[in-house]
Amino acid sequence: MADTLNIYQPIKATVERVIIESPLIRSFVLIPEKEFTFKTGEFIELTINGFGEAPFTPSSSPLENKKLEVTVMKTGYVTDRIHALETGDVVGIRGPYGRGYPIQKFYGKEILILGGGCGFAPIRSLLFNLIAEKEKLRKVVLCYGAKTPEDCIYKSFVEELRKIDKFEVYRSVDKADQSWDEKVGVVTILLEDLRMDIENSVAIVCGPPVMMKYGTLKLLEMGYPEKDIYLSMEKNMSCGLGKCGHCMMGKYYVCKDGPVFTYDEIKDQPNIWL
Amino acid sequence: MEGDFLVSASDWHLFLAEISHEMNVYVPVDNGVHTEYSLFRNNDLQIRYNKPAPVSPLKIFFLPVKENVLNATHAKRMIVGIPACDLKGLDLLDEIYLDEKFPDPVYEKNRENTILVGTDCHDIRDTCHCTTYNVEPYPTVNADFTLASVNGKLIVSVKSARGNTVTDLLKKHFPVSEPGKDVLSEAVALRSAVRDRLETQNRNLPDYTQTGDLISKSGDEIWERYAATCVSCGACAAICPTCTCFLLIDRPGFGKIRQMDTCQYPGFERIAAGEDPLRKKAVRFRNRYMCKYVWKSEKFHAQACTGCGRCIDGCIGSISKNKIFTEMHNPS
Repeated sequence: MADTLNIYQPIKATVERVIIESPLIRSFVLIPEKEFTFKTGEFIELTINGFGEAPFTPSSSPLENKKLEVTVMKTGYVTDRIHALETGDVVGIRGPYGRGYPIQKFYGKEILILGGGCGFAPIRSLLFNLIAEKEKLRKVVLCYGAKTPEDCIYKSFVEELRKIDKFEVYRSVDKADQSWDEKVGVVTILLEDLRMDIENSVAIVCGPPVMMKYGTLKLLEMGYPEKDIYLSMEKNMSCGLGKCGHCMMGKYYVCKDGPVFTYDEIKDQPNIWL
Repeated sequence: MEGDFLVSASDWHLFLAEISHEMNVYVPVDNGVHTEYSLFRNNDLQIRYNKPAPVSPLKIFFLPVKENVLNATHAKRMIVGIPACDLKGLDLLDEIYLDEKFPDPVYEKNRENTILVGTDCHDIRDTCHCTTYNVEPYPTVNADFTLASVNGKLIVSVKSARGNTVTDLLKKHFPVSEPGKDVLSEAVALRSAVRDRLETQNRNLPDYTQTGDLISKSGDEIWERYAATCVSCGACAAICPTCTCFLLIDRPGFGKIRQMDTCQYPGFERIAAGEDPLRKKAVRFRNRYMCKYVWKSEKFHAQACTGCGRCIDGCIGSISKNKIFTEMHNPS
């Protein structure tokens, strides 16, 4: 938001559509009052007027600058109010903030993406970017886990993704029902059968802290170098500008120095898995 | 001290009365218990120069407890009698709030509109330890001009173009004189004496870099023991010249209020799903020290502690960080 006068001033955005993704997760398509650009992995602060603000990485394509989509799990004070939003409501957005995914570093490589729960949101934005640049990539493998089949989000997007050349999708749920014909178990079981050219590969992890931890440990065990594991870190954030101090993770402000870090960068910092 | 001049205390007081018509002037006032900044009024008779650390740190003028960051007002003002520890603390505030990528417009305007008048400390408190952290007990940075009261007169030293504008006005309307060698010698002697007292008082205290190492390597026991009387009131952070964390609060009309916050408060790092790395009081307590002496010193050029000692004075749990560091440095 380099062209606004005050770093704390949100711009207004209208809710165009609300999409129910799962019992606890909804997506909100927003139309900002002026064009809004971001790079994949960067985040915004979403303001509910007079009530509160929370950070979200957009789940939509970074190539779209007239619309923006955020996917939100109902889990706390602000997200309860976000879930009450309806078409036509006006919210505020600040940003984009932070350091996103270094897409150029992924060119010519196999990309393994490990996602869990609502962590699919930033990953979907990344996937839109990777689809647009697929000629520069060798292959993209998405491993996604959720608690139950009905907790799996972006179902139609996943079906579309499976049809795209160079893209593979594997999913698991902790607890299956009769409709489920994919894997059952924690998401890391999906890694066991994969054949990746690890020397020419990078891994990307985004999900709940505990899944990020065990996912990273598994990737290290598979032989991924620490510098090739990209993590999108979750922390309490307030300003998004590297000032308020809430998101400090050792010497890093996650909002400004991240939220995307390599494991190599943060492995010695405190409370990375909270 | 080239360019220094002398003015009588009574003429300086008259000058303050004049200039307070043009801007808000804050002066250090002795209220019988301690020294605190107060808005200058002509009948203020208890102005005290050369006193160490007023109760409130200088940061309170730039990052007040609560401020509307989208609709702030910026009165022109002059703050008189600022000790060196507080002036030095501005280095870190400037690095955080005037960073290249996201300069804070409210802080920036507050800095532009404020004339800073530093002062030599001619006395020390039991908790003062600036020299341990490479801060002299007299202003070396960030002042526009400085004052030192010697033998009933004030030595004025100009430090910036903005300071020069103010002192030119003073010289225009009031008699000033060259300071004689005896006065300058006395000022230097006073500095030296205060320095010696600080060195003696803090001879067992580790310096800034040693402190960082000691904290990094310390075990949980010492933090749990010292945190036992901590009530998480956050006073240590509130009166620290370099603790600057805040919470952005929303108001109707997409308004934003910046309100002081601190990692000492429960929930400071709690995420929406409930995980909170600072849930335990002793962990929060240690976190503030890790932040000031380890992480901030890795991330920024400026120091995150200038040895003012206010966190010790203000702690209602009677916790002395100097005792913690001395114990770590000289284990029995």
